[in-house]
Amino acid sequence: MECPLFLGYPIYLVMIMFEFFSSPLILRALLALVISSIMTAVIGTFTVLRGLSTMGAAIAHASLAGAVLGVIIGIEPVLGAFLLSIVFALATAYVGEEGGGRMDILLGVSFGFSTSIAILFISMLSAYTVAAWSFLIGDVLGVTEGELAILFAFTVASICLVIVFYKEFKFITFDEEGAEAMGLRVRFIHYFMILLIAIATVVALRVVGSILTVVMLVAPAAAAYEFSHSLERMIILSVLIAVISSLSGFFISIRANVATSAVIGVITSITFLLSLILSTKRRKCACRLVSPVRLVKEKQTAFKKHVPRCSQATLEKKT
Amino acid sequence: MVVLKISNLTVAYPERIALQNVSFEMKNPALLAVIGPNGAGKTTLLKTMLGLIKPISGTVEILGMNPFKEGAKVRRIIGYVPQRERIDPTMPVLVKDVVLMGRTPKLPLGAWFRTIDLEAAKEALSLVGMENYWDEPYIHLSGGQQQRVLIARALASNPKLLLLDEPFAGVDLTSRSLILDVIRHKVKEGVGAIVVSHNPEPASIADLVLLLNVEVMAFGSKDDVLKPELIQSVYGMPVILGLPNLSGDDHV
Repeated sequence: MECPLFLGYPIYLVMIMFEFFSSPLILRALLALVISSIMTAVIGTFTVLRGLSTMGAAIAHASLAGAVLGVIIGIEPVLGAFLLSIVFALATAYVGEEGGGRMDILLGVSFGFSTSIAILFISMLSAYTVAAWSFLIGDVLGVTEGELAILFAFTVASICLVIVFYKEFKFITFDEEGAEAMGLRVRFIHYFMILLIAIATVVALRVVGSILTVVMLVAPAAAAYEFSHSLERMIILSVLIAVISSLSGFFISIRANVATSAVIGVITSITFLLSLILSTKRRKCACRLVSPVRLVKEKQTAFKKHVPRCSQATLEKKT
Repeated sequence: MVVLKISNLTVAYPERIALQNVSFEMKNPALLAVIGPNGAGKTTLLKTMLGLIKPISGTVEILGMNPFKEGAKVRRIIGYVPQRERIDPTMPVLVKDVVLMGRTPKLPLGAWFRTIDLEAAKEALSLVGMENYWDEPYIHLSGGQQQRVLIARALASNPKLLLLDEPFAGVDLTSRSLILDVIRHKVKEGVGAIVVSHNPEPASIADLVLLLNVEVMAFGSKDDVLKPELIQSVYGMPVILGLPNLSGDDHV
C-alpha cells in the first residue's frame, strides 16, 4: 500500500530529523553547545555584574594561546588552554590589586598581551594552522568524545563550586566593601571567581572560539539583567537565552552552511540589543516604587503605631 | 570591658597623613558620633578599626581584641553599614537577599541559610519598619528605605558594635528618625554604635562626640564638643545644628 501524499512530507521530515540526530557528530556538537552555554551563562552573570567583561576577553585569548601551545608541545589543547588561562587570569587579578593602577588600563594591556602571545604561538605552528583556526573561531562539529568529557567535567565541577560559594559571590558582587568589613575573605572569593571565568572561557573556546567567547560570556547575562530583579532569575534567564541562542544558531548555520560560532554570536548579540529596547527593568524603575495596596497597609500600620489608642466610644464622643 | 580604645593612632597613605596621633575611648556601649569635614580621616578611622588598614603606629582595641591580629574575629562581631552611594542600587537582589548577607559570614562555605538565620533577618527588617518588603527588589526602594535595609543587614548579624558610615546622608525625614530610634534601641540593649558623618548634625543626638580633622580636635559629651567657635574652626564656616527629627535639611 502506498503512503498518501499528504503524509509523505512529514514522514520524510521525521526521517531526516532522525538521521540528523542519530549522527554522533551532531549529538556531540549539541551536547557541547548546551554544556558551554550553561557554563558561560552562569559564570557570565557574575562576570557582568562585577564588571569583568574585558578580563573575560583577555582570558579568552590567553586560553587560545594555551591551546595552541598545547598543540606545539603535544599535550591535549584543552588542558593547555586551561593551564595558561588560569595562570594569566590570576596574574592579571594579582597585578590589578597589588599594582594599584587603573583597572581599565591594566585590562586593555593584558588583552593585548594575551592576544600577542596567541598570535606568537600560532606563527610558530607550521603544519597545524587548521587546529589554530578552530580555536580562533570555534569548531563545534569537531569536538571529540574526549574533549566533550573534559568540558562536561569542567562544567559540572564549576557549577558545584558556584553552588558552594553562591551566598559569598552574591555578597561580594553586591557590596564588596561591606562583605570585607563583616568578615568575608573577599580577596580569596574574588580570585576564585576569576578562576571560574578562566574555566568558562576554556569550555567555550572549542565551541565558539576565542574571538566569540566573550560574547557568550557577556551577552546572555547582560540581556537577562534587563529582565531580572533577583540574581537567581538572572542566572536562569541567562542560561535559557544562551542555550536557545546557541542551539538556534547551530541549526541555522547547518541549514545555511556557514560558520556556527558566527551565527551564535550574531543571535546572542541581537538578543542583547533587543533586551535593551524591551527592558522592563528600566521602564519600571522610574514609575513603580510601591504597590498601592502595600502603601495603604503601611499607612494603617503607621497610624496604629503612632496615634494613641482610643476606644470606639471615645471616638464617637469626639465626633 | 572597654568597648573601644584607640591610642596614639597614626595612619598614612603614600600621598598624605590621614590620621595623626588619635586617641579616645568608649568605656560603655554608647552612641558615638565621629564628625569632621571631608578628608578628616573618618572613613580611614572606621577601616583601621576594622583592621583593613594598618597604622604606622598606635593601637586599637575592640571589646578586648586587636583587629590587626584577630581581624576576622573582630569583623564578625561588627555590624557595618557602608555609605549607600558606594553600592550599585541596580544590582538584581531582593531585600531579603541583602538582609541575609548579614548572616553570611556566620555560616561556613556551602551551608545554606537555616530557619534561625531567616528569623534573625526578618526580625532585623521589622526593627527598621521594612517587614513588608521582604520579597521586594532592592532597586524599587527609595534612598531612605535602602539605607534602612542596609542597617537591617548589619543588625541581622547580631553585632556587638555597629559602625555606620554616613547613615543619614540623602535620607528622608521618616527614615532618619527611624534609623535614629533603632540605633538608640540597640545602644540600650548594650550594643555600641559609631556614626560617622561629614555633617555635624548627628552629634546633637549622640552620647559622645569625636570632632576629627586628621587629629582629634575635641572628644567628649556633645555639650563639650559642640561649641560654635570650635565647630567653626574645623569646618571653616558657621554651623547651625538642627535636630534630625525636626528638620529634614542639613544645616551646615
